[in-house]
Amino acid sequence: MIEFRQLSKRYPPDIHALTDITLSIGKGELVFLAGASGAGKSTLLKMIAAIERPSAGAVLVNGQDIGRIKPSGIPYLRRNLGLIFQQQRLLADRDVLANVVLPLVVCGTSRQDAERRARAALDKVGLLDRAASAPQSLSGGKQQRVAIARAIVNRPQIILADEPTANLDRESADKVLDALKAFHGVGVTCVISTHDEQFLDAANRVIHLRQGRFVESWRRQSEVQA
Amino acid sequence: MRGWFRQHVLALADAFRHLFRAPGNFLLNVLVVAIALTLPFAGLTLLQNARPVSERVSVQPEISVFLSVDAPRDRATALGTAIRRIAGDGGHAYRLDFVPREKALDALKNRTGLEAAIDTLGANPLPDAYVLTLEQPQGNADARRIESVAQKLKALPDVEHVQVDSAWIERLAALIRILRLVLLFLAVTLGVVVVAVVFNTIRLQVMTQREEIEVSRLVGATDRFICRPFYYTGALLGLIAGAAALVVVFLLLQPLNTAIAEFARLYASEFRLVPLDGGATCALLALSALLGLLGALLSVRRHLARAA
Repeated sequence: MIEFRQLSKRYPPDIHALTDITLSIGKGELVFLAGASGAGKSTLLKMIAAIERPSAGAVLVNGQDIGRIKPSGIPYLRRNLGLIFQQQRLLADRDVLANVVLPLVVCGTSRQDAERRARAALDKVGLLDRAASAPQSLSGGKQQRVAIARAIVNRPQIILADEPTANLDRESADKVLDALKAFHGVGVTCVISTHDEQFLDAANRVIHLRQGRFVESWRRQSEVQA
Repeated sequence: MRGWFRQHVLALADAFRHLFRAPGNFLLNVLVVAIALTLPFAGLTLLQNARPVSERVSVQPEISVFLSVDAPRDRATALGTAIRRIAGDGGHAYRLDFVPREKALDALKNRTGLEAAIDTLGANPLPDAYVLTLEQPQGNADARRIESVAQKLKALPDVEHVQVDSAWIERLAALIRILRLVLLFLAVTLGVVVVAVVFNTIRLQVMTQREEIEVSRLVGATDRFICRPFYYTGALLGLIAGAAALVVVFLLLQPLNTAIAEFARLYASEFRLVPLDGGATCALLALSALLGLLGALLSVRRHLARAA
């Protein structure tokens, strides 16, 4: 489903964010990207979403080379992805429902249908009763769950989450993780970057990065070794 | 088609949402643009009013040939042949009318209402006259020909005075042509001002909505989707300012007409300034909206790329 082929990313003047990464992530996998700050986890996620372009090598999603997509084609790629960020990036001037509706609105879904689906998504993350609230009135954990609802409302094939539990207390972090696992349970491929060792214990597959290089990839004992 | 319509309704609603969020700023921008538009709109209204005046009066050159008061009628009528020869020289078209002194006196009495005063004069003080109408001049050569014809007519026996009557009409037409050019220059200059004001307004809006633009992009919004509300904002700004400018011009016409009415009455005229007709009003509103759209288009192209 997602394939990295000798992928490198360099920023001027001479910062090697990623160096020669080659690995693949199968459909329906729940993968954690682990590593210290600056290991290249976020950059790798940005490559999948075409937020960054490779300096060398290729990223393939469903066989499509992301680096070769024209700028006009990128929005259509992102409609199949659910993006979750460390800072939730909810729009403060809109209520929770309007935030969750946004990915559907940009696709041209009718207002009525979009609101129905957004309410369903909020229900899945347990925040339907906060649909009319302002995002800033919610706790960090709840805001992150709103962000998850926004990411899944378009029924994406892949969810990319960049440090979604950073800055959250344990209870909130667990709820966020549970929500993500629930979507993995229905066949959505989830790629989550984290430096929280506790979450790695629960992972099916972990990919370790260090200073922009692939170090190792392991699966739980029941899984096949990468 | 429904999807396309929905996207545009959404963009328009989004534009209104942002306008109402900071109505003070928007109204200030409308004021600035309206002031810039008022001047060319007022100029255009004046020109539109002046055009019928200059067009109603023929610019075909007329030469009045006044004969001596003591020239007998038979010599006066015989002079027509000489005048025709001079006017038709070179195969040019013309019309020649003989105005007997009696007819001229009657016309004078009727027009001025000075019948009693003229009657006290006893004898008719007016001479016989010819009115020679030539083709409309097409260039400098024709203008020189009119002058040459006038000179030749002056040299004829019994001719007392020759007057080129259409000269002032030509001067008026030339003046209107100059005013039209000045107005065009003014309109272009102030049009640039409108575009610049809208450009800056949209620039500020793009900066204010940077987070919203970025998030929209990340969830799959196309550039067209992101740009559309800004285009509507620019067009709305232009349209509302254009409407405001037209209202201001309309209101200005009222006191101006009071002054003009008094002036026109001295010349026995009913002349009044009238507002632009429906077609011209719609065209100006559309032009205002287009200027706003252009400003938004340039601004969004420039600043959205930076926001990316």
